Amino acid sequence: MAPSLLHPPSQLSPAAALQLSQQAPAVLQNSPSTVSKSPFSALFSASETPELWIKYENLLLSCLRTGDELAAKQCLERLVARFGDGNERIMAFKGLVKEADAQHNGELETVLKEYEQILRDNDTNIPITKRRIALLRSMGRVPDAVSALVQLLDFSPTDAEAWSELADLYLSQGMYPQAIYAMEEVLILAPNAWSVHARLGEILLMAATAPGAAGASYQKYMAEALKRFSRSIELCDDYLRGYYGLKLVTTKLLKESAKLAKQAEEDGLVLPDTNTIERLNELATAKLSEIIRHSTAQDRGWRGYDQGEVAVARELLSEDSSAASRIER
Amino acid sequence: MAQVPVQTIHRDPQLFYWILFPITAVMILTGVLRHYATVLMASAAKKLDQKTMREQRSLLHGINVRGNSHALSKRSFTARRDALITAYESGAYLKDPERRGQAPPNPMSDPSSMEGMMGMMKNQMAMIIPNTLIMSWINAFFSGYVIMKLPFPLTIKFKSMLQAGVATKDMDPRWMSSISWYFLCIFGLQPVFNFLLGSDNAASQMAQQMGGMAPNAGQMFGPGVDPDKQFLAEAENLAVIEHYSVLDGVEQRLLEGIKV
Repeated sequence: MAPSLLHPPSQLSPAAALQLSQQAPAVLQNSPSTVSKSPFSALFSASETPELWIKYENLLLSCLRTGDELAAKQCLERLVARFGDGNERIMAFKGLVKEADAQHNGELETVLKEYEQILRDNDTNIPITKRRIALLRSMGRVPDAVSALVQLLDFSPTDAEAWSELADLYLSQGMYPQAIYAMEEVLILAPNAWSVHARLGEILLMAATAPGAAGASYQKYMAEALKRFSRSIELCDDYLRGYYGLKLVTTKLLKESAKLAKQAEEDGLVLPDTNTIERLNELATAKLSEIIRHSTAQDRGWRGYDQGEVAVARELLSEDSSAASRIER
Repeated sequence: MAQVPVQTIHRDPQLFYWILFPITAVMILTGVLRHYATVLMASAAKKLDQKTMREQRSLLHGINVRGNSHALSKRSFTARRDALITAYESGAYLKDPERRGQAPPNPMSDPSSMEGMMGMMKNQMAMIIPNTLIMSWINAFFSGYVIMKLPFPLTIKFKSMLQAGVATKDMDPRWMSSISWYFLCIFGLQPVFNFLLGSDNAASQMAQQMGGMAPNAGQMFGPGVDPDKQFLAEAENLAVIEHYSVLDGVEQRLLEGIKV
């Protein structure tokens, strides 16, 4: 699938981002640089569409990513000409370009000061708040970023993007319970996002295997991880990441099934019995091999998988089968 | 069956140039003007300060927790519920906690809500004034003219609508007076404005009337609503919720639902 300028480019592979930013001269030439607001020219020229400005934004991001700062600045100029200097979104883009221009840490500090100045004038400027947090994080000041995020989430607790960033920050610090809490907040805002369910499952699995977890909390984490992965598959058939996680959890549980103590049924999160875990493991194995087979053969309807993910899944399966044959021997 | 003789009225062709065309042109121009006047007069959406935003979004957060509680496990839901209920009942999210329990301010005296009302007034004015002017203009100059014949037959009931201002009893209802043309223009120019100004224009009065009738989305945080009462109601809603989790028995559902 060719990358489109109408989707935010944050998920693109480097090659796709490069391909997008190489379109920059053509896009900049063919799109109108300004749209006149006078009613008479509006009668004769094509009317302005939101897509045009979305295109400029995404082009700006791709160009910054690939180092084409000239084109990025052109996009920014057009955006500023249309929406003015005071627009919150545009202010964030301006800051982003400045961050990309900065040569050393001192210049980044200046940008940070500017953000703080803007926030002193208007403390509900959410795009700038988020830029500041991102800048703090990229400068390595994670605790500052976390406290700024917590402050943002205190007055705007319905921001899924901020919650997931917070989860990621906590995870990078190894603070699993906090990361899990933040991820659950994302789920409250987007209860049917299978990717978020799977991500929460991954975090739970990490929390379970972390050195500190033991005994009852270990089992609780494992049980919930198992259920989260199952839910993500339930929401999205043939979801590679969900099956991969399910396979990991069930394999691990089966290996340790002897050690697992019987849990008290207090909060509804109990591990299913060994038989069910075995069947889930079989299901995940079968599904994973089906996905690998189809995706390697490039069958119709199976082409969207990320090649790296498929390769990792294949590795997991081969590891599993070699372990199984070792046991048989 | 004898054919009913077709009524013919000899009209001066100048009627077309001097009545029909001017009325239409004036109507379109007023519509365009009204659109731009509304755009000019529209006050920018008022900025929320941080405390108000916190108050509103915290309430929304509670509503989200209540609505999507099934995505959580029982333990994390209970923890959230207890925390939210405590905070709601103690008024931790209120904009100014010391005003708690007092009667909400009169919306008429609150300058922030006055602004919203002024905006509505301005819109209404932009609609009423031109209409009154044009109507009196037409009445003063063109009343009593029969200006055109519709190309399709109509029943007698349309007479009062189409021949307003022309009191002739036996005239075929297909004949139209100038004031009826004006009314037709009011209701029929919407596509023209859509074409000229884009689809979200403010020229059409129909859209504005409809908008006035539809319940306002901002009503929830409108003036005169006591946020403390909203918080307490939400705390109660959270307290009575019967929690279930989608995670209960999900592996059974999966095993039954998916066959390899």
